[in-house]
This record gives sequence, C-alpha cells and structure tokens, in this order.
Amino acid sequence: MRIVVTRPRVGPGRMWQVVLWTALAAAGTAAVLLWKPTALVYGVQRAGLYAAVAIPMALVLGIVHIVNLAHGELMMVAAYLAYFAARLLGLDPFVALVPVALVMAVLGLALYQVTIRHSLKAPELNQLILTFGLGIALSQMVNLLFTSQSWKLSLDYVSASATVGNISFGVFDFVYAGAAIALALGLRLFLTRTRLGKAALAVGQNPRGAAIVGIDVGRTYAFVFALAVGLIGAVGSIFLAKQAIFPLVGGPYTMKSFCLVAMAGVGNIVGILYCSLALGLSESIINSIRGYAGWSNVVFFAIIIVTILVRSFRERKA
Amino acid sequence: MRKAFVAVACFALLAVAAFGQGVIKLGANWPLADVSGLECSKAAQLAVDEINKAGGVLGKQLQLVVVDDEGKGDKGVAAIEKLVTVDKVDVLLGGIASGVAVAQVPTLKKYQMVTVATGAAASASVEKALGPSPGSDWYFHLHPWDYDQGQSYYEGWDAIQKKYPNVVIRRIFLAYEEGAFGKSSFDASKALFGSRYTFDGASFKSALQGGSDYSSVLEAAKDFNPDLFIWAGYAQDALPLLEQSKAMKFSPPIYLGAPPAWPVDMGKSPLAEDIMLYGMWAPSINDISPASRKFYDAYVAATGSAPTSYFAALSYSAVYIIADAVKRAGGTDAARLIPALEKTRYVSPLGQTITFTPSNIIKHQGIKNQKILQWQDGRQEVIWPFEVQSRALVYPLPPWK
Amino acid sequence: MTFAVRRFLPVAVIAVAVLFPLVSGPYPLAVAQSILIYMALAVSWDMLLRSGQISFGIAGFFGIGAYAAAITTLTVRASPIISILLAGACSAGVAFLLGFVILRLRKVYFAITTLALAEIFRVIVHNWGDFTGGPEGLVLPSLIFKGDSRALFWISLGGVLLACGLSALFQRSRLRFALTAIRNNEVSARSSGIDIFKYLMIVFVTSSFIQGIVGGIQVQLYGYASPDSVFDANYTLLPLAMALLGGIYSTPGPVLGAVLLGVAAEYLKLKIPYGHLVVYGIIIVLVILLLPDGLYGQYRRSVRDRARMARGGTAHA
Repeated sequence: MRIVVTRPRVGPGRMWQVVLWTALAAAGTAAVLLWKPTALVYGVQRAGLYAAVAIPMALVLGIVHIVNLAHGELMMVAAYLAYFAARLLGLDPFVALVPVALVMAVLGLALYQVTIRHSLKAPELNQLILTFGLGIALSQMVNLLFTSQSWKLSLDYVSASATVGNISFGVFDFVYAGAAIALALGLRLFLTRTRLGKAALAVGQNPRGAAIVGIDVGRTYAFVFALAVGLIGAVGSIFLAKQAIFPLVGGPYTMKSFCLVAMAGVGNIVGILYCSLALGLSESIINSIRGYAGWSNVVFFAIIIVTILVRSFRERKA
Repeated sequence: MRKAFVAVACFALLAVAAFGQGVIKLGANWPLADVSGLECSKAAQLAVDEINKAGGVLGKQLQLVVVDDEGKGDKGVAAIEKLVTVDKVDVLLGGIASGVAVAQVPTLKKYQMVTVATGAAASASVEKALGPSPGSDWYFHLHPWDYDQGQSYYEGWDAIQKKYPNVVIRRIFLAYEEGAFGKSSFDASKALFGSRYTFDGASFKSALQGGSDYSSVLEAAKDFNPDLFIWAGYAQDALPLLEQSKAMKFSPPIYLGAPPAWPVDMGKSPLAEDIMLYGMWAPSINDISPASRKFYDAYVAATGSAPTSYFAALSYSAVYIIADAVKRAGGTDAARLIPALEKTRYVSPLGQTITFTPSNIIKHQGIKNQKILQWQDGRQEVIWPFEVQSRALVYPLPPWK
Repeated sequence: MTFAVRRFLPVAVIAVAVLFPLVSGPYPLAVAQSILIYMALAVSWDMLLRSGQISFGIAGFFGIGAYAAAITTLTVRASPIISILLAGACSAGVAFLLGFVILRLRKVYFAITTLALAEIFRVIVHNWGDFTGGPEGLVLPSLIFKGDSRALFWISLGGVLLACGLSALFQRSRLRFALTAIRNNEVSARSSGIDIFKYLMIVFVTSSFIQGIVGGIQVQLYGYASPDSVFDANYTLLPLAMALLGGIYSTPGPVLGAVLLGVAAEYLKLKIPYGHLVVYGIIIVLVILLLPDGLYGQYRRSVRDRARMARGGTAHA
C-alpha cells in the first residue's frame, strides 16, 4: 500500500484521456450550473466536509495500517473540547482550533501508547476491534458526563450568505473545502519535503526496510497517530462551528470516511479530494431532484463500489 | 382472659406489620442512555418518593424498578420479562421509542399486565399490533398517537386563524426527516391537512444520522412559498436548519419546528426568536398551572436541573395516575385496576386533565391534544390551547437578525 | 484434555443448551435468544474469514433475510419455518449473484464493498415503501410458536446449531485446507490447482445463507422489522468483536466470544445502570490486548505450547 502524494507522470498516450475527462467535467459542470447552480455549490461544500474528515483517517491507514474505528469519536471529543473552550473561555472555534488540536494530539499519543502500540504485532483485525472498543468507551463516557443532549453554538458568521442573481446560498461551508485542501497539500508537503515525513512514508511502504535503514518505526507510528488525531481535532473544532454535537455524532462520519479512503485507494491522500468531490456532487445533484432525495445514499455507495471494482479490473489486467 | 387478650393483640400487631410490609412494585423501562429516558426515570422516582412520603398507597410503600431498554427491541423484550418474572412487579409503565414498543407488544400480550405507556407515537405499527378492545384493554396509552397529534394541530391552526385574523394559512410545507418519525409525521399531516390546505413536503437526512445539508429541502420549500413551514426532525437539526434558512434568505411567515426535544442552547440563539414549535409541555406552563409549578420545582430540587422535554412530566403523571387508581381499586389486580384507571381524572403538570377515551383502535388513550408554542425571549411560550396560553402570538416571523 | 473428553464435550455443551429452557425462566431465555442470534452471525462471519475475506456486510444479508421472512409471512402467509428457509435462500441467492462481481476484491476493498452493499440494501428497503412498508417497517400478526419463551430459545438455538454444524463441516473437510491455503498465499494456492473463485463462492454463499436464516429467525422472534432495526451496524460490528474476542478461525471461538460479550452486556447493565457501556468498551479493549488470539485461541495456543514443552522443546517455535 503506497502513499501516493504526487501525480503520476502524464505521457502522450494518456493525454487524450486527460483531455476527455476534463471536457466531460466541464460539460457536466456547465449542465449542472444551468439546471441547478446551487447543487454545485452545496456539492463542493459537502465534498469538503467529507474530505476534511477522511484525510486524517487515510494518514493512519496508509502509514500505521490501522483502521481507526474511533475516528469519528475522536472528532466528537475534539468538538466537545472546543465547545467548552467557547463557553468557558469565550474562544471562537477557529481560535480554539490550535489548542484543541494540540490537546487531541496528546490524547492520541496517550491512547496509542497505552493501547494500540501493544497490539501492533497482532493481526490488523485486532486493531480494528480495539479501536471499536475505544470508540464505544469514548462516546459512552461523553454520554455519561454530558448526557445525550444536543449542544450547539450560535455563531453569526455561519449564516453568511452570498447572492447571485435571485439565488442566495450559504458560503460558510466552503471552510470545509478549504480545510480539506489545506490538509491534503500540507500533508503532501510534509510527507515529501520533510525528513520526518519522508521517514513516515518509508515506514508506511516497508516497515522492515525502514527499520533496517535506521528509522525508529515505533516512534514514527506514535508520531503519525498523534498527528492524525491532532488533525481530526482541528477538523472537530471547525465542525463545532456549524453542527450540533452530541455523543454519537461521530459514528456516521467514521463509516463515510472509511468508504472514502477505500474508494480513493489506501494511501492516496490527494485522491481523496477528487473522490469526495465526485461523491459530494452526486449526492447534491440527486438531492436536488424532487422526490428522489432518499436515493442519494444509494448513489453515494454505488459510486464507491463501481470505483473499487473498476480499479480492481484494471489492476488485474495490468 | 389476659392470655386471650395478649394473643389477639399479638395477632393484630403481626397483621398490621405484615400488611405494612407490603410493597406495591412499579416496573418501568426507558432508554437510560438517552437524556429523555434518564429524565423519565428521575421524574418517576420523584413521584414515587413524594407518594411514599405522604404515606404511600393503601398503607403500602411504592417501589420503582427501572430496567434499561437501550432503545432496542430485543433488550426491551428482555426488560419486560425481567420486570414481570424476576422483579415480579404489579404494574408496568414507561417506554419512549415506537420501535421498542412494537417489539414488546407480543410479550406484553402474553402477561396482560396493566401497562401505562409514556411513549410510542407510531400508530401504524404499535397501535395496529395492540389490536382493538378487549384484547388491549390492559394497555393505557398516555402519549398521543401520531394522528392524535396531527388532528390536534389541525384544530389548533384553525383556532389560531380565527383568533388572529391577520394570520392566513393557505400553503403548508413539511420538511421531514427520512426515518420513521419523519415519515409518519408527513403521512399523518398530509392526510389531515391535505383536504383544506395546499400541502407538500420533502425529506432530509437528520443530523442525528449524520446528515448535515438541508439545502435541497429548504430550496424546495422556498420554491413552494409556504405560509406555514414545518420541519419534523430532531434537536440536532434545529439550529442548523435556521442557520441555513438565514443563509438562503428563506423566511416564511411562520417557521415551526416539531422535534421531540430542543438543543440546550436554543433559547440563547438570536435565531430562535419567534420560531414556533409543537410540544406537550414547557416551563412557561408553570405560570398557568399550579400542578406544573409543583412538579417543576420538585424536579429541579431533586435533580439539580430542569427537565429538557415533556417526557419527564409525562412519566411523573404516569406514576400518580397509577397510584391514584390503585387507591380507588383497593389493590393491583387487573380486574379491579382497569375499571379504576378508566375513571382517571388527573390534573397533570402538562396543563391538562388526563382522562382515558377510545382512540382509533385501542380503548384507553390518554392525551390526545398537543400544544402550539412559540420561542419568545428565549422561552417556550404556549400559544394554543388558549386556556393555557402564556403570551400573545408574534406574527409574522420578523426578518433574520 | 483427553481425546475422549474432547469428543464428548461438544455433545455435552449441546445437551446443556437444549435442556437450558427447562430450568430457566423467561428472562434468562429472552437474554439468551438475543445472544444466540449474535452467536450464529459471529460463526458465519468467521467462516468467511477463514478464506481471508473480511466481510462488513453481515447486517446486509441479515436484513435481507429478515425482510424476506417478514414479506413472505405477510403476503403469501408462509408458515414461520418456511419463511425462515426462504429468508436463507434469498440471502444466499443475492450473495451468489453478487459474488460473481465482488469476490475478485481483496482485503479492505472487499470489506468496504460489503459495507456499502449493506447500506444500499437498507436504503432500497427504506425507499421501496409499497413493497417493504418503508421506514415504519412491517409488523407480523404473531410470533413463531405463539411466542412461547422456550420455543423461541430452541429456534434460535437451531440457528446456532446450523451455523456451528456447517462451520464444523467446513473445518473437517477438504474445504479447510483449500481455504487456509487461499488465506495464506493465493498465488501458491492457485499454482496448487485450487479454484479460488469456486471456494470463495462456496463460503460466501454459505455464510450469507446462515445470515439470512438468522435474519428470518430474528423477525419471527420479535414480530417486527424496520430498515433501521435490522440493518443496524451493530449486527455487523458486534459479531466481529465476538469472533475476535473468542478466537477466530475456529467454531468454539465465536461461540465463546458471543457468550462473553452477550452476558457481560446484560450483567453490566444490571449492575451499573449508568455507564455500563463504558465498561463494555474497556472490556473489549482489554481482552483484545491481553488475549490477542482470543479466548479459544489462547487456550489452543497454551495446549500446543504445553505439548511442545512435554516433547522437550521450547514453548515458542
């Protein structure tokens, strides 16, 4: 499972493919714009949210090779921390972003050292169930402390809107898209340009080889896990700005992130951006068709299955 | 002579002791992990403690046994079995979710123990499973059915339009969450309102299930241009819907929410001002109903926090209704208890007197009417029924702040 | 454990299980019937796992079975037992058709695909209201065997015996070697002449058949099915946890895991009314950390180590 952070080199044979796909995308965009322009806007916003939540999971899966089923719960914990920062310290979620991310990174490191580290030699399924248990413990602990009630901040700027012609739409959600792009590009730079990042990449591709070369695999795993939890903590803080939080808020996002990561191909962080765009737009378009909104989930998962199947067909041929 | 006197005295003492040792056991099931279930449990225990302090029922103390149904059908069934066969309770009460109640119905029918239900609104599944009298006469349903609620709102809007002539409703749009709760709300509302009003709706994925985008449903609503916009979802949807409506510049004359409960900070949000809601109880009823004031103060004193939904008041009422009926029946056996319950006239903290009358299928339906309220200055004020109205209606919805 | 005891043990366990309702009240039986449902699912999941394929789609086939049983009971008035068999056949049929397409996938991609399929099934059932009753679900007129607690337990036990029987059959037959070979190294398995697709299909269809049967049993036990209740993610994740905690690649493992987690859940709920699920989550974490091979796996390992020590070697190879 390789981490792909650079785009494959494009030779002359593939030029036509690129041109074709770009033309299709442009035509599709134009069609959607003419029919229901807001579908485009909301599609991109949704895609941003999905991608921002999924990218930290891809980091963990690609390098430490763990499916973190407590992913959504960690985001939930971060959102609760940010909530308290807002209510008790008066910090705006975007200001609290950094301290919350740091606290979450420390929490992630602690969780890793206490539990995950000891189960790394065991098969991958063990780590999956371990994180599953952690997720239950985390969400139920929060439930016990703060009840299942829904908490929400009331921030003025989340209702920010723009008007084009006679259509008004919300613009705050573009923050998610911005966060996703920042995460993807930031991680790409980190993994390819810094020593620590390159070591992490090496560990992800070949742990034994990396150990031979002298990289401390255990410390790298711990660092990457803590980094990923810190990142999801940052996303959780942004999440709080617009969404209502409650102990079980993370669950659906874990599943969707898992699907998105698999669809992009394990380790392909930049691919997550493209895949989330495809999913977000298709969901948004289906939602806009009156009476068929309930089918958007089917389209979402069907696209994932088709992508995975097509890729597997192509690999078999190669 | 002396010996006989002592013997009789001993007997009398033993008899009194034995009778006083008796305990009347109430068995309840609620989802304790959910805040509403938790509050039900606390409110019921509060009622039991109050009644015991006042001397109990028929000289016996009440005892409440609560088993968590975890919001799941199979756990709900196991809870009933435990309460009936292990804890050997005399009367059953409780429940919130329809999905759990419908799974419990076959087991409840097995024992035919008097049950006072505090939840279950889905008539298509639960009431149908219960069946008509006399097979379901042991079941006393406090919570209104979905069609009861719909009918109640129909009357409410009728009355409001008559009292406030400037309020004119012709077109109604219902945004409903795609699950069973939303769908049944839509079906019930469409059936009732469809004849007199132009009625339409669209579904959305609730934030409770991970949905976050209401744009399509709000756009459909905006295109429809309703006089009354209703959304049936959960607490998690309340503020995001409003925020998105503000961003899309969608402001119908009446914006009404119908979730089972509201988020904690709703009152603090400037967006909540003049939003209307459907409900059964709000703290503002304290100003009108002494029973509500008494319940509210006692609940806050006992638990340290205010109830967040109507379920607490409903559970509190259930215990009092049972206790009162047992007193009148002179015991807990079903043959006497059922007729006694039928004669219930309980002045409840919900601001209405609870009696049992037939509904579509079952014979013993408690509450049928709901209330229409409005958020004003951070508080839920009752608008209708006018007997418990606490403030005047603000109409139409002022522009977004 | 001597050879004779080992042969006798499964029979003894089954005998105890069959006689259990005669000495238990309705409450333990109600708890037990729920545990048996998860147990059968855990065993069925493990059967597929032995081929190396991880399925996250248990809830999907379980739900299909549940709805098949509910719909046949309501529309064609099928008897409960027939509806359960039809449920199994339906799930098996769907698995057979899907298998041609998805069994080429491996590892996390197969897992995600089964997860996605389960979700698709749920949405289809949810939206196809005219046929499936929509989000409000379907209510059956009565329970199987009129809801008699003992009979409900026995039918659930029947599901478990079916699952365990098939699982043991697979473990004793040629299938076991084929599946283990596929799991360990597909390339060498193929070069040994094993038709990988055929074996994967056999396990996949059998596993889905069991899940369908269990789904049918579930709906007959409670008389109710709704998209959210039968396609619940817990029907996928809990059997997984049970199989892992009990010991994968075995039949007794998932059985033990189901008993452990099922009994712990109910016991903790009674002892710690508030916060029992926190302890439940921590128990899962602790067991998986301390017993990485699961309960049964750890037992098997210690037996093997002891045998090795007895022969004069070291405990670890």
